[in-house]
Amino acid sequence: MELQLGLSLPSTPIFPFKMLDLNSYGYELREGLGPFGINVNNNCDSCSSSCSSSSSGGADDGGGGTKKRRLFDEENRIVPKTLPLLFWTNQRPNDEDEPKDVDDHSSSAIFKNDGEGLVGWPPVKAWRKKVRRRVANVRAAVENSCGGRASSSTYVKVKMEGNAIARKIDISLHHSFESLTTTLMRMFDISDENGQKSFKLTYLDREGDWLLAEDVPWRTFIGSLKCIKLIRSRC
Amino acid sequence: MQKKTAYSFPDEILEHVFSFIQSVKDRNAASLVCKSWYEIERWCRRKIFVGNCYAVSPTMVIRRFPDIRSIELKGKPHFADFNLVPDGWGGYVLPWISKMAGAYPWLEEIRLKRMVVTDESLELVAKSFTNLQVLVLFSCEGFSTDGLAAIAAGCKNLRELDLRDSEVDDLSGHWLNHFPDTYTSLVSLNISCLGSDDVSFSALERLVGRCPNLRRLLLNREVPLDKIANLLSRAPQLIEFGTGTYAAELRSDVYSNLAEAFCNCKELKSLSGFWDAVPAYLPVIYSVCSRLTSLNLSYAPIQNPDLTKLVSQCPSLQRMLVLDYIEDSGLEVLASSCKDLQELRVFPSDPFGEEPNVSLTEKGLVAVSSGCPKLQSVLYFCRQMSNAALVTIAQNCPNFTRFRLCLLDPKIADYRTLQPLDVGFGAIVEHCKDLRRLSLSGLLTDCVFEYIGMHAKKLEMLSVAFAGESDLALHHVLSGCESLRKLEIMNCPFGDKALLANAAKLETMRSLWMSSCSVSLGACKMLGQKMPRLNIEVMDEKGPPDSRAESDPVDKLYIYRSVAGPRFDMPPFVWTMDEDFASELS
Repeated sequence: MELQLGLSLPSTPIFPFKMLDLNSYGYELREGLGPFGINVNNNCDSCSSSCSSSSSGGADDGGGGTKKRRLFDEENRIVPKTLPLLFWTNQRPNDEDEPKDVDDHSSSAIFKNDGEGLVGWPPVKAWRKKVRRRVANVRAAVENSCGGRASSSTYVKVKMEGNAIARKIDISLHHSFESLTTTLMRMFDISDENGQKSFKLTYLDREGDWLLAEDVPWRTFIGSLKCIKLIRSRC
Repeated sequence: MQKKTAYSFPDEILEHVFSFIQSVKDRNAASLVCKSWYEIERWCRRKIFVGNCYAVSPTMVIRRFPDIRSIELKGKPHFADFNLVPDGWGGYVLPWISKMAGAYPWLEEIRLKRMVVTDESLELVAKSFTNLQVLVLFSCEGFSTDGLAAIAAGCKNLRELDLRDSEVDDLSGHWLNHFPDTYTSLVSLNISCLGSDDVSFSALERLVGRCPNLRRLLLNREVPLDKIANLLSRAPQLIEFGTGTYAAELRSDVYSNLAEAFCNCKELKSLSGFWDAVPAYLPVIYSVCSRLTSLNLSYAPIQNPDLTKLVSQCPSLQRMLVLDYIEDSGLEVLASSCKDLQELRVFPSDPFGEEPNVSLTEKGLVAVSSGCPKLQSVLYFCRQMSNAALVTIAQNCPNFTRFRLCLLDPKIADYRTLQPLDVGFGAIVEHCKDLRRLSLSGLLTDCVFEYIGMHAKKLEMLSVAFAGESDLALHHVLSGCESLRKLEIMNCPFGDKALLANAAKLETMRSLWMSSCSVSLGACKMLGQKMPRLNIEVMDEKGPPDSRAESDPVDKLYIYRSVAGPRFDMPPFVWTMDEDFASELS
């Protein structure tokens, strides 16, 4: 219980409340609809089915969003554009006048939770969300024998033999061994002439084995890469 | 001044009597008896809890209570946990630390929740409170490992350092090295939130090795599995342990070392961590299972049958946190094995997926409610519910103190009857007379709020989302729930009427949060004008409210009582509706 603030209450309510007459105060709520044009009545079959469809990624709803925004501007006038509820798909199907522009992702920008649906719902702590993504990815990686990253981060650790300090690189920026090798040489200050010859690129794969990168295709490498080590070439 | 009669106690006796009164609530009550009790009490109060850091100013606290040794402060509203409060909102602890530095040099305990803590604040803490024993930063942010280094170096008497769920800028794992070699008093360390894989493991090992009183150790994810055996062998006296990542290639030496290490921890009662857990290493904890009273597997992607098998070995469990991989079948096993269970939390493994990925329904919760007579606290995420199930649960568990149900589809109806879930939640509030905390979800009309207002007389915190049809709902809650302290509402069609009609009620509560509802700017201004002891904060990232019409609904509204007046550290997107604001525009 918090600090006792010693407040005394007024003996009568500031605004005496008798019968709550919902039709006579402030702006009207439209018949049977909440302020966002969403059907809040009991028979919510349409509600629940469209709710589940609207919980999918925001990016997919980008096109439909533009359409809905205009609807609200014209009909309700009261809903600010940034409210994510605008992008629920629970809409009456009588306004097909605009072509669905699937390339328009501007509306998905207002999803503050990385396009994962309604803001704040379900109420999972941000901390857990990050962890959960990684957990799900670990599971996916275990289930898939190819592809799938063990964690949602694209950074992998890189060590060089003889060098105590490990570095990290963003593997998603590279699409070939050439670009990766060039970056690594630059990172560890290996000159071009000797570099190619005196160092070999090895990596730890998901199974825990150290493999030579040159032995595998790029896709395989990327798919099971956990971390990289540059070792001195013995030959 | 109180006239001293032959019957009045000398102050010293009263002070001695008060020293037995630890509960803040009782202390508050005692201080209101008369002026002399107020005076005596305030001089001998040592522990203070400020549920909303903006409800009072540090100066006022220091003026009333000159000798505090333990302080707990809370900052941001609860919905900040779900990204509903934009960055920069507030909750800064520095002003408190700065003022307390001079006033409370003997401060021993600082507990902060949802506050912005900077390295500067931590450095000031380390410098000013040489006797600091407890530092808990729960869901805090704004600081880095540099600040932690200052604490480690400066707080020679630190017993407890708990960073649970905080966001820490990991600059360097070497902050642990800043605990001097002579430092041996650590009792509890929770670094589970740290992300850096550069945490100096050798420093951690040495620290653990030289602190014989260490009872609680929660590691961060980056500590590999093969290092745990060593750590545990240095601290066999641990009562609570959180592993790091629990995945590794199965190697018999690692396995047997781990099993032996766990076996030697004869007092271990609580386990957590288990990130990325693989089933292969689960049996190493079997020797501990029979003693476990608390098990947190909510980061472990283990599924049945391994998960259920593990649970079935823990008959003493009182607290269980798990992902929905446990499924109904696992919960049935839990119900039959764990008769002492008091708290259950089931988290969603795939909260944003459209289709269910596991077979977890209302049946699991019904089973636990039926099998575990001591069940008091529930947090349950699932995809379907029925009124019948909720009624059964309510009848099985009249002792519920906390009931939070989260249906992943927020407006889903009773899946069997397609009716709203009013009756089910109504049964919860009717049967559970001691219910203090309730979170609703699913399709709900005004009816459920009528039930809540009628029955939930001990309810202190209510969370509502996507529910109700009209202001009547809000009115039922505000007028009926006598013990209500915190009310948080998102996406409900509640507007001005209920709020204005129950304005006085708001002064009896800690706070009210309403986002994406229908409260108009005009109503906020009116409240701001008429209720000077409430701070009415309107949050809107689109622009200042005076650019809009009075009837426009506000995006987010946060109302809280305060004796400190409006705050001055608001970011550009927060406006206080106080008398000045209202008069500027009229």
